[in-house]
Amino acid sequence: MSGRLTRRTFLATTGIAAVGTAVAGCGGGGEQSQAQKPSGPAPKETFSEPRRKLSGNLRLLMWSHFIPAHDEWFDSFAKKWGEQVGVNVTVDHVNVEDIPARISSEISAGRGHDLLQYTAPLGQFEPSVLDLTDLVKEANNRFGDQLELCQKSSFNPNTNGYYAYAPFWAPDPGDYRKSIWRQVGLPNGPTTWDELLRGGTEIKKSQGIQMGLGMSQEVDSNMAARALLWSYGASIQDENEKVTINSDATIATVEYMVKLFKGAMTNEVFSWNPASNNQGLIAGQFSYILNSISAFRTAQEANPEVADDIFFVPALEGPEGGLAAQHVMYNWIVPKGAANPDAAQEFLLHYTANAPAVAYHSQLYDFPGWPDLVPQLDGWLAKDPFGSKPANKLAFLKDAVDWSVNIGYPGPANPAIGEIFGTYVIPNMYARAARGERNPQQAVAEADREINGIFEKWRGEGLVGG
Amino acid sequence: MAQATLERADVETGRRARPRFADRDGLLAWVFLLPSVVYIIALVAVPFFLAIAFSFSDVTTGNPSFNWAGLRNYQRIFGDPVFWQSLKNTLVYTGIAMALIVVLGKVLANILVANFRGKWIVRFLVLLPWTTPVALSAIAWLWLLDSIFSPIDWVLREFGFIQGNMYWLGKPNLAMASVIAVYTWRTLPLAAVIIMAGLVAIPKDIVEAAAVDGAGFWRRMFEVTIPFTLPVIAVAALFGAVITFTDMTVVYLLTGGGPTHSTQVLASWAFIKGIEGGDLAQGAAVALFLFPLLLAAVIAILTAVRRMEVS
Repeated sequence: MSGRLTRRTFLATTGIAAVGTAVAGCGGGGEQSQAQKPSGPAPKETFSEPRRKLSGNLRLLMWSHFIPAHDEWFDSFAKKWGEQVGVNVTVDHVNVEDIPARISSEISAGRGHDLLQYTAPLGQFEPSVLDLTDLVKEANNRFGDQLELCQKSSFNPNTNGYYAYAPFWAPDPGDYRKSIWRQVGLPNGPTTWDELLRGGTEIKKSQGIQMGLGMSQEVDSNMAARALLWSYGASIQDENEKVTINSDATIATVEYMVKLFKGAMTNEVFSWNPASNNQGLIAGQFSYILNSISAFRTAQEANPEVADDIFFVPALEGPEGGLAAQHVMYNWIVPKGAANPDAAQEFLLHYTANAPAVAYHSQLYDFPGWPDLVPQLDGWLAKDPFGSKPANKLAFLKDAVDWSVNIGYPGPANPAIGEIFGTYVIPNMYARAARGERNPQQAVAEADREINGIFEKWRGEGLVGG
Repeated sequence: MAQATLERADVETGRRARPRFADRDGLLAWVFLLPSVVYIIALVAVPFFLAIAFSFSDVTTGNPSFNWAGLRNYQRIFGDPVFWQSLKNTLVYTGIAMALIVVLGKVLANILVANFRGKWIVRFLVLLPWTTPVALSAIAWLWLLDSIFSPIDWVLREFGFIQGNMYWLGKPNLAMASVIAVYTWRTLPLAAVIIMAGLVAIPKDIVEAAAVDGAGFWRRMFEVTIPFTLPVIAVAALFGAVITFTDMTVVYLLTGGGPTHSTQVLASWAFIKGIEGGDLAQGAAVALFLFPLLLAAVIAILTAVRRMEVS
């Protein structure tokens, strides 16, 4: 492919990549979409009276959303609520990658924001945050049952408490280029891991276009690795939090990844940051990636031709089914030192009650943790108000909850799972084998040692079972 | 006159004149030193002793309460292959980067002291990498070294040196070479300026006398300028080594320690383990491992410098 790259193509693709980088850099999270003009009206916001009299200040820390329009809406939404209930609300948005360090420093200092949000589970902070069990119970009373996926991402069965509140999440489908996959007889994209290997290998051979499942030290690589594990019946832990990584099923996934790398990918996947697969897809350089719809939303602005050619598939089927991790899981925590915990919890209820507005203003990026709250979601997905061509391109996401599970599945998202996620043990397991540094058995054994060490430590803290 | 009268009166009455604030050297010294002392205590000493305490505890990012853990964290990090790989990488990273910085710094300093038109603009341009915020320059390098869109690859392809892509950050050896190169590019101006200061301090008559005696460029270089600037070069190397040893920004921004920890250094692993992984105690233990190594390096270099000065 590179041999056929002309200067004109090079300038065009690098230009697009630069736009993608700049856009991603603004949010800092590595993937960010431009605002789309909606075709229909936004849902009306609701207001319910807080359960108690509120006053004072409320300080929120949250990520810079991949969909910037969401943050514009959210900031005024939060302020308006504050005016209605007599609370002075301030919202600070920071780069998603900087949030763990910010939370750590605020917890250490015992002061800072009243309400902190991150896009992955925050089980490691449980000793220093308020137990939100009553809040979740209240939400369940008001809004129906919370999704198991969200519940398992915020509840610790060992302490029987909710360390976080998880009102929204985002699915992690496969994004593929229809025109490319059509040429290998799969116009609707791959539906199984076997098809991904066969089609991806043929595409690279015949069209010189690679695919992108990262094996790097970044979040998308973490997600892709877990989807592969679960679809083969492997997992890091079982439902009782016992380590189960060292299994024949895991070894089979590593063998598969070695084949996929050799057939359909390049060394590039070892160098990825969170923006890389988005940039490559938008620039038309990849046949398939695993990501949320934000890459597509960015392409709608940056490269509409490519956007129209991007389609989606749900989690790929493996020998034991098809599952994917959530792409984003919103965890809101209230530190024990929070100055205004009552206002923080009342705001969360108000925010959740306005789930239709959240989903809409995030351009269908955020899905509700209490699905009964957004009955109109299926309609929006069937006819995207934000300009998908065809308009039903996102309709497949109606069933996203059926193939999405929490980090740590089939167990909860405990602190050990969080540390394994944060130190990239699983992507490195695949990368070592793909690079030929270890054979699959050795790579799995090495990961097993690391994982057991991490579990053992957190069990000592009393936060992990097994 | 009035002052003299007053002093005389004091002497006459047997009382000693109370020195003014501006005349009290001892007090003034402390007042001037105080900001530095406070700064060092607050931002260096306290975190340092806190890190020592953390490394013997079970502190996590979510649970700052201190429980004694003895040597458990050290046992764990010594049993972790990533730690040993990070240590090896740190030594390689620092060693190669410092060798390049000292040699290239000397070359650059020679160029900077030479007389030529546009010298000042060249000096300004040379200093730019040092003054550019590291986050900005690393992002620029991230694009230059991108696996698909690298302009460096494009140039190499256009000249027919390569066929495909180099994957600068996707192959372990190339990734390590890349982070070293970027770090060297960034730090070189500082070393060059320090060495330049040493070069301009060499008495001109000695250099001229050597030239008159028939010493050529290389002989003057190795027998006059290098011996005279050696203490300065050693100080530049010392600062450079300490800064390089504790640097994580270039690695963290370019590779995140990958691929497969092949560019992971102790400082970045301490951050990833301690902050992103939540295990503050182990992160502190990893970070503290830098201290004895740095202390040994500092003592060795300072001793060498003292010997050079004496000789």
